[in-house]
Amino acid sequence: MNELTIKSSPAWFKQSLSLLHHEFRRGDLTIIFLAIVLAVGTVFSLTGFTEQIKQAIMSNSANTIGADRVYGATRKIPVEFLEKSETLSLNIASKILTDSMVFAGDNMLLSELDAVSDSYPLRGKFMGKTSLTQTPVSIETIKLGTAWVEESVLARLDVKIGGTVEVGVLPLTIVGVITEIPDRSYRMFTAGPAIFLNIEDMPKTELIQPGSRAYYQYLFAGEQDDIETFEKWLKPQLNDTQRWYDAKSAQSRLSNVLDRSEKFLSLASMLGIVLAAVAVAVASRRYGQRHQPMVAVFKALGASKSHVQKLYMLHWGLLSLISICVGLVVGYLLMLIGVSAIENYLSLDESQLSFKPFFTAVITGLLCAVAFAIHPITELIATKPLDVIRGFSQNVLPKFGWHQLIPLLALFALLMLFSRDLMMSLSLLLGGILVSVVLLFLGRLIMGAGRTAGTKAGKSWHLALANLKRRANENSVQLVSFTIAIQLLLLITVMKSSIIEEWQSQFPENTPNHYLLNITADEVVPLKAFAQELAIDNQGFYSIFLGRLSAINNEKTISIDDKKDSTETESDEKKEEKPKGRKGAGRELSLTWQSELPIENEVVEGKWWQENDNTPQVSMESGMAERLAIKLGDKLTFTIGSDEFTVPVTSIRDVNWKSRQLNFIMIFNQAAIQNIESTSISAWMIPDEKKKQVYRFLSEYPTISIMDFGSIMKQLMNMIDQVSIAIELILVLVILAGSLVLVAQVQASMEERERELAILRTLGAKGSLLRNSVLFEFIALGGVAGLMASIAMEIAVYFLQTQVFEMAASFHFSYWLVGIGAGAAFVGIMGMLSCWRLLNLSSVTLIRRTM
Amino acid sequence: MVCLDALLANVEEDVVNVRKLKNIKIKMGCLFMKSDSEIILKISALTKSVQLEDKALELLQPIDLTVNSGETLAIVGSSGSGKTTLLSILAGLDLPTSGEVYLKNHPLHQFNEEQRSQVRANHVGFIFQQFLLISSLTALENVMLPAELANQPDAKEQGLALLKQVGLAERGEHYPSQLSGGEQQRVAIARAFITKPDVLFADEPTGNLDTKTGVHIADLLFDLNEKLGTTLILVTHDPKLALRCQRQVEMDSGILQEKSATTTSTNEYAADMKVG
Repeated sequence: MNELTIKSSPAWFKQSLSLLHHEFRRGDLTIIFLAIVLAVGTVFSLTGFTEQIKQAIMSNSANTIGADRVYGATRKIPVEFLEKSETLSLNIASKILTDSMVFAGDNMLLSELDAVSDSYPLRGKFMGKTSLTQTPVSIETIKLGTAWVEESVLARLDVKIGGTVEVGVLPLTIVGVITEIPDRSYRMFTAGPAIFLNIEDMPKTELIQPGSRAYYQYLFAGEQDDIETFEKWLKPQLNDTQRWYDAKSAQSRLSNVLDRSEKFLSLASMLGIVLAAVAVAVASRRYGQRHQPMVAVFKALGASKSHVQKLYMLHWGLLSLISICVGLVVGYLLMLIGVSAIENYLSLDESQLSFKPFFTAVITGLLCAVAFAIHPITELIATKPLDVIRGFSQNVLPKFGWHQLIPLLALFALLMLFSRDLMMSLSLLLGGILVSVVLLFLGRLIMGAGRTAGTKAGKSWHLALANLKRRANENSVQLVSFTIAIQLLLLITVMKSSIIEEWQSQFPENTPNHYLLNITADEVVPLKAFAQELAIDNQGFYSIFLGRLSAINNEKTISIDDKKDSTETESDEKKEEKPKGRKGAGRELSLTWQSELPIENEVVEGKWWQENDNTPQVSMESGMAERLAIKLGDKLTFTIGSDEFTVPVTSIRDVNWKSRQLNFIMIFNQAAIQNIESTSISAWMIPDEKKKQVYRFLSEYPTISIMDFGSIMKQLMNMIDQVSIAIELILVLVILAGSLVLVAQVQASMEERERELAILRTLGAKGSLLRNSVLFEFIALGGVAGLMASIAMEIAVYFLQTQVFEMAASFHFSYWLVGIGAGAAFVGIMGMLSCWRLLNLSSVTLIRRTM
Repeated sequence: MVCLDALLANVEEDVVNVRKLKNIKIKMGCLFMKSDSEIILKISALTKSVQLEDKALELLQPIDLTVNSGETLAIVGSSGSGKTTLLSILAGLDLPTSGEVYLKNHPLHQFNEEQRSQVRANHVGFIFQQFLLISSLTALENVMLPAELANQPDAKEQGLALLKQVGLAERGEHYPSQLSGGEQQRVAIARAFITKPDVLFADEPTGNLDTKTGVHIADLLFDLNEKLGTTLILVTHDPKLALRCQRQVEMDSGILQEKSATTTSTNEYAADMKVG
């Protein structure tokens, strides 16, 4: 009689499908479905989108060096380097840069000569037009005997396209105007407007003589692996005079934007994923509880455990499958929307969608569906048939315990999968746990206090706060999710605006777009008058001396080759270079004298000199002082040409490098260098309509170099715009994920609320009292969550700004009000919407449904 | 007077005859349905206790009970007397602390959860106070459920037939939420009978219904039970409902006592009258 054969009925399949069909139709699975769809959709769209953006930005920023990597030196590249690159099938282009005076008839102009090989550029676009009205086309090669020039050359030399310009001893025919130079933004400081010629014409100019200043660049591009192999081989062989760089290291400002946007995008996406995962966890917990009676009945009626197991595995499996598939479609569509939004800014032609977003999204979906639901579902399957008699209320899942290990591990896996950053994932996870625990206790405290306050408030408030207190356990968990959801939303909003604002603040309205260099003393007066006449914003004229810091307290500094991009007059470029100790200071610095402290400068140590102080002295920028371990009172020796002099450091300044002012590391007082000859520099904001006039005026001063910075600014602004759009898109997704958590949480408490409402109705509570008490309860919950979220956000923003994004910390009290207000409104509305049906049920129905 | 007495005596005789006939019918039914009046449920020295912190709470004192096939047995008692605990053990939903339970000769006390499930699937039917229909399944699917679990091939036909018998032929595609309490319990009754269980356990089957509906449901339950000759074990605190069973046992503080037979017959009469 014990020989029982335990067999499973094939009915599980049919029952499972029936269950799925019915629950989908009734909307019981909507939250879980949406949560998985959102998690998968978010991951797919963001991974795909950021991948495309990264690729596009990388290839666009590769444009800023015209290659994947660039070798640069004052001498030709060693032959073995070229041979090695050839064995790796890398593409090579070469370029010689030099400054020279060029002539057209009686006019002359100091220009930058770019002699390029036929293969230039390897990445990005080299564009120009052969008539001023033509749309720019790609410049394939520069024919021998011809030159392409920047537009200002035409005005300043008073020549037309088709005219001749003499470079050295070689006359070249101007065939067109350059509109886009692929490695433009690297050309931060040049002597003058660019003239491009074929590299084979360069010897014919006879400009390159022994000892003349020429800079040789070799551009490399190829498969990433080959490039990396080459880089690995090459780097150890480079000496101090040879530079090797990629797009990022070439352009600190651009790479800064890239780095931050990359970090921000991945951080925001991670938060979005966390929220979606939380929504799955909350919804599946409710799902498990809701299905307990069903499993108990199944079992009481004789269903075996394996029957129930198969039924639910199929049910959950199909649900996950459908959700993941829909998620992929949604994610793909979102990605397309995102991509189409930035298409105008960024060429995505070369970006190919890889399988990475697909796999990452599917794994995310599976992790969400399995790891976050495994405990509620195993608990569900283990439901005892005895519960049909005993009742189900006792089977409330414990909130904390080892069962949370799997979801936490899964969360960690998700974060790692997405960010591939151990530190960031770990700190997010541990920080999250810590914050949750703190919030849990804080929440209970506030709710307890609220109860006391409630006794003094009106009837509805009294009931609402009493409810909050009574359900303190469930509510504090709800509160934590609300808080975290609101906090993340606030965080993303605040970070988004502070990042974008900071970027944009680098380019205020009157940002200079031209630099004028090589201005001689007698040219300053007419230039000043001209600027005034045309009402051109400018930052005044600064005397400029090129010199070296040759000794500190009589200890000689080690000299290295001055780096091409290290002209001090230009904001933060050299700041990123981080010269190593005293060695780095040996390069040529742009020095100036000032009698007044320039704007955006702040003396942090010592004192700024009086105008009539005749003791030679120097004021130093604090960052450099720190790097070179120079203190107040140290004696610095400078060499300018053949002159050498020693001055004490009398003040140390903080300089806002992010402003587009002319900034200097070393500023002397006039007494220090009054006898040394110098030229001046000025920064002008020239509006487009006055450009021609200015260029024509400046053509009378051929030795003045004018550098148009506007195009670089445009490039940066473009990038900021497109990254901002990406951030907005992510913000929308994070808000969706956050809302889902809120809805899932409200839904989870629905059954209990239903019972309570039934009791209150039975006891004769009026409809308006019930509605108000529910509304106030949610409003109070949302308000408290908003308050705690604001505090948590402030702390998180502080850490993010100072640790991750390396920005100045700022406080955002206005967002506190937003947090509290939006929290109360949002939770209140969501709660009321979810409970609306319940509140409008007749007493009889309500009682019949719950009793 | 004589006339009236004689008339009354005749009526009484008729009633007795009706009852006798009915008993014969029941027994014949039993003969048709079950070949012998075998012992279908036997428990001996069964106890149940739970550990509450440091002391054990005796829910059931040692109980012996034998139920024959086709018998209808009511377990009555006040709330907390242990009747539901007893029912859960008899139905194999729970295990005793000590003692033996044989259902259809299966030693439930030695069986694990899975084996007990199988016994339930093959031999047991349930009716619950809360109806406990699966909300995601239609009325018909709910009725078919135990038949499907027991791998019966003609679940649908049987389900439709049973729904017809409980008067819900037209409601087969409706979901539980679309049915009234009485209708839900009728579906539950149909569900309970679909596998032609050897034993049907009913836990307060009318407890959640108003009196009128309760009576209808009870009628339906006893009718079907009679037709199919199922052994019925009913837990109730409604004495009227209990009296409709052939046997009543009373639980009081975990102790089981058989009630006297005379009360049974009188009340059976009353019940019969009510049905009639």
